[in-house]
Amino acid sequence: MDFIFSQLAGFGSALVSLTADPLTYLYLIASVFLGITFGALPGLTATLAVTILTGFFGNKIPLDYSLIALLGAYVGAIYGGSYPSILLNIPGTAASAATAMDGYPLAKAGRGGEALGLTTTASFIGTVIGTLTLLIFVWALLLVSKNIASPEKALLALFGILLSGTLMSEDLVIKGWIAGLIGLAMSMVGLDPLLSEPRYTFGWSYLLSGFQVVPVLMGAFAIPQIIDGLRHVEAGKILALKGRILPNLRSIRRYLPTIGRSGVIGTGVGALPGVGEDVAGWVSYGVGKTVSAEGDKFGRGSLEGLLCSETANNACIGGALIPLLVLGIPGSPPAAALMGAFKINNVIPGPTIDPEIILRVVAILVMASLTMFLMGLFTARVFIKILAIPQTVFLPVVMVLTTIGSFSVGGGINDLYLMLGVGAVAYFMNLMKYPIAPLVIGVILGGLFDETFRRSLFLSDGDLSVFFSRPGAAILLVLNLGLILSQLPAAKRVFLRLKGRSA
Amino acid sequence: MDKIDETQVMRARDFWASVVMIAVSLFFLWKTSEIPLWGGNRAGVTGTDWYNSAAIVPLFIFGGLLVLSLVLLVISIRSGGAQNALSGVGIGWDRAEVFRSSTIGLMLLAYVVGLVPRVDFILCSGLVITALTFGFYGGYTQRALIACLAVTFAGLFAFVSFPAQADWNAHGDDWVTLILWIFLTLLVLSKAGPERVLRYVPFIAILAPLILVCAMAFGFRQNVPARGGLIFKQIEYHYYVTLRPLWKD
Repeated sequence: MDFIFSQLAGFGSALVSLTADPLTYLYLIASVFLGITFGALPGLTATLAVTILTGFFGNKIPLDYSLIALLGAYVGAIYGGSYPSILLNIPGTAASAATAMDGYPLAKAGRGGEALGLTTTASFIGTVIGTLTLLIFVWALLLVSKNIASPEKALLALFGILLSGTLMSEDLVIKGWIAGLIGLAMSMVGLDPLLSEPRYTFGWSYLLSGFQVVPVLMGAFAIPQIIDGLRHVEAGKILALKGRILPNLRSIRRYLPTIGRSGVIGTGVGALPGVGEDVAGWVSYGVGKTVSAEGDKFGRGSLEGLLCSETANNACIGGALIPLLVLGIPGSPPAAALMGAFKINNVIPGPTIDPEIILRVVAILVMASLTMFLMGLFTARVFIKILAIPQTVFLPVVMVLTTIGSFSVGGGINDLYLMLGVGAVAYFMNLMKYPIAPLVIGVILGGLFDETFRRSLFLSDGDLSVFFSRPGAAILLVLNLGLILSQLPAAKRVFLRLKGRSA
Repeated sequence: MDKIDETQVMRARDFWASVVMIAVSLFFLWKTSEIPLWGGNRAGVTGTDWYNSAAIVPLFIFGGLLVLSLVLLVISIRSGGAQNALSGVGIGWDRAEVFRSSTIGLMLLAYVVGLVPRVDFILCSGLVITALTFGFYGGYTQRALIACLAVTFAGLFAFVSFPAQADWNAHGDDWVTLILWIFLTLLVLSKAGPERVLRYVPFIAILAPLILVCAMAFGFRQNVPARGGLIFKQIEYHYYVTLRPLWKD
């Protein structure tokens, strides 16, 4: 109990110091507004919002303000995706795909205001649930993570890439793994971390320092989005917002158990390495449909269905930061962009992270969710107007933003060439349904995997048993092997047979 | 039926993707073989063991990539991907889509490789914003072609006229870009009667890069591309010589 109180006290002092600084509000309001705008515009995503802001604020302002800008945009963008889902039947972000299933029928039935109000409240509560879980669990995990040595780190990095590849794959799972391996391969470029031996530099001195994170993020997330989005799309009819947005307490109380359950599911899914808000939304929606008394109404305008996905995708934010802060493994694609910001600020997330930073992250998340809540309730009509802007008008501006952001981080034109090259590869990968998130996570974790894998071998004089003689490593090895084996056709047949027998 | 067709198209594409990835994996495995694995001199250290080698992890990665590519090849062949791979219909060739993505790709290439390093950022970004909006708003093929030609010409001119970095501050390419931008803006305005959105394009094309480059250079004090560009050079001069002394002194 003392531990929880000491945590809350630390969080309180971080919150007070942030609230006492007037600049906090400037960054917070601007970034949450920008985040909601990015989320609301179909064609722009939460990952893109955090990536672009990483280019702008990543290393140009003090870390606290940079975190406010990035986390504010993250929270805002995940919530902002609900606007087009409810009013246009087009998910603003992948995380809001499940929201459209019930949000649009509700708006069509003249309950758009009520849906938006409850969504805003549920997103706020969801973010707070995720944040509080982050506050409590990150410390417990940090204590455990002190015992994590190189073999565990290497296997954990591999597990993150494999899991992300498995869960983010739209087509064959093998494509997710290939994307992860391409990312790992990209991270091998440059001087190797132990012997400083140049690898795959082809005589180009720029490549000696390896692929820079921000241009890779910009290329992987922005360029395919721009190429794919620059097309003529018949503007959907925005449904008129009927009814008041401010929710009444009775409905909130009625749906509180649903919100609580979805918040816990969202946080849990977020805590899985490499799995993002979209998966959290769908998992929570699926669970809700199974356990809810009004499960049969899901997909036909159920408020409970709407709240299941919207609470979970926002709760996922706090969850996604747990593996990022504790292990240095991003829990979602936007968290991968956030990791890029940490890296260019020379902050290494993981067991050695400064505890003050974690407390500040939690305080910023609480403030960002409150800002999002107030903006959602009182300025919703502004964001609805933004929905009318065509993609062909804002995407060219995004291209210019991406270019100057990518250039300014490293200050070199080579970063732009890298961004364009990665963008072209990512575009073709998108075309062939290869997920991009495992690639980015592979690039980010590749250095860690290379260093820890070789260090393990070095310390054990090449004895491979180091990867299964330690209990933690053995568990992780079993998880990695289990994940791979579970995708083999023979294993799938066995699972199906067992499932058939139990049914 | 549609679903089956889409899957077949995907498998035909997978066939080519796996062939390319097998080639890439083999190439990089060969490149990895240049990194000493069994002893040898590594970064000045001799007589070290295999597990110290910088080639270990890349071997694991490219070996894994090769195996997965082979598995993908087998999946695509078993699903009939190889049979469809040689026909345009089989790989889902869509002429309009190829035209759209190639024109955008060409414009981005001209912008990043030709224009950004050499031409004033406000000018080249203004041209690109105008071209991309004009070219793809409304879905007119002819407009996309004109927009693509304008940006590609500007990029190619800058690239060919001033290939060496020492010449990047010259202004010939700035003027060409400016003329092309004005030409495209006039075209945009001529179509802006029935399409009201296009009226805002010139404002966005001027204001967005202007605000961004000034914020980056004077707000965040970061390096910006083509500092010696036609317009930015003047802005920078007047910021430091005319404006800044007003509050500095």
